[in-house]
Amino acid sequence: MVNDTTRPRYELTDVEPGYVIIEREMYSHAARSYFSAEPVPPKEPYREGARVWSFWEMAQSFRFAVRDNHTGETVRFDEMLGLLYYGCCDKDSELYRIGELAHENRISIYVAVTYEAPDGGRLEMPLDKLVVLNKAFNERLRTRDKKILILPDSFGLYKELSYGQIMLDFGLTAMEEKVRSA
Amino acid sequence: MKLQEIADKLELEGLTPVPDRDVTGVYISDMVSDVIANAKAGNLLVTVQVHSNALAAANLVDICGIVVAQGKKPADDVLKMAVKAEIAIFSTALNRWQVATKLYEAGIR
Repeated sequence: MVNDTTRPRYELTDVEPGYVIIEREMYSHAARSYFSAEPVPPKEPYREGARVWSFWEMAQSFRFAVRDNHTGETVRFDEMLGLLYYGCCDKDSELYRIGELAHENRISIYVAVTYEAPDGGRLEMPLDKLVVLNKAFNERLRTRDKKILILPDSFGLYKELSYGQIMLDFGLTAMEEKVRSA
Repeated sequence: MKLQEIADKLELEGLTPVPDRDVTGVYISDMVSDVIANAKAGNLLVTVQVHSNALAAANLVDICGIVVAQGKKPADDVLKMAVKAEIAIFSTALNRWQVATKLYEAGIR
């Protein structure tokens, strides 16, 4: 055992367990997701203008903030649906090829996938928040020369990836691959 | 304690090469989100998860090895990912409680 008494600069804080609720629109079959911290995840259909949204799927997850212990500043990451590891992508994808290149330099590529925006696009994660996220995860590493690089979804991955590719807990023990689009 | 030493003591079946790493502690979980939020670098993860996302989470927090309990074994593509990430994967027929007990008996606190 190694007891590390050094307080890290960046800490995950305000960790709030909950559910990523995935819902589907009755007529267009569009899908979208949101985080719910309710003890019992909401499953009732509801109307939003002419659209009717129904519960489709859920995964256990958490939302969190990162605290900078030097400045006292806390940055929340409520817009983040989850992280996607390049190795979980299609081997023909651009991200996979970039990930393989980076891996040769001991850099593990992840993409921060955000929730859907009301206009059907994606919420944006500002670059300064990604900088904090990268610092927080890299500070936790112990393996020499290993680096984590968390990128924004500049690849438009959300258009083609499935919720199952993102690091979410679909079921406690099965975690079957999902084929549904995010 | 070194990873290989623990593997020998628990008679774990190695499915990938074992890096020369010290084990800083143990984390037992089947939830990817829990591992990301709470596991520490250098921890040995005990789980029944064999999904590629479990490996992705282990890599993110710098887990040194994964003990897959109850006789489960990851698919070949997950094992290949583990080799690349230099994360040792072991399999055992023991359940998670039995693994925890044996780890304690082996001196991991």
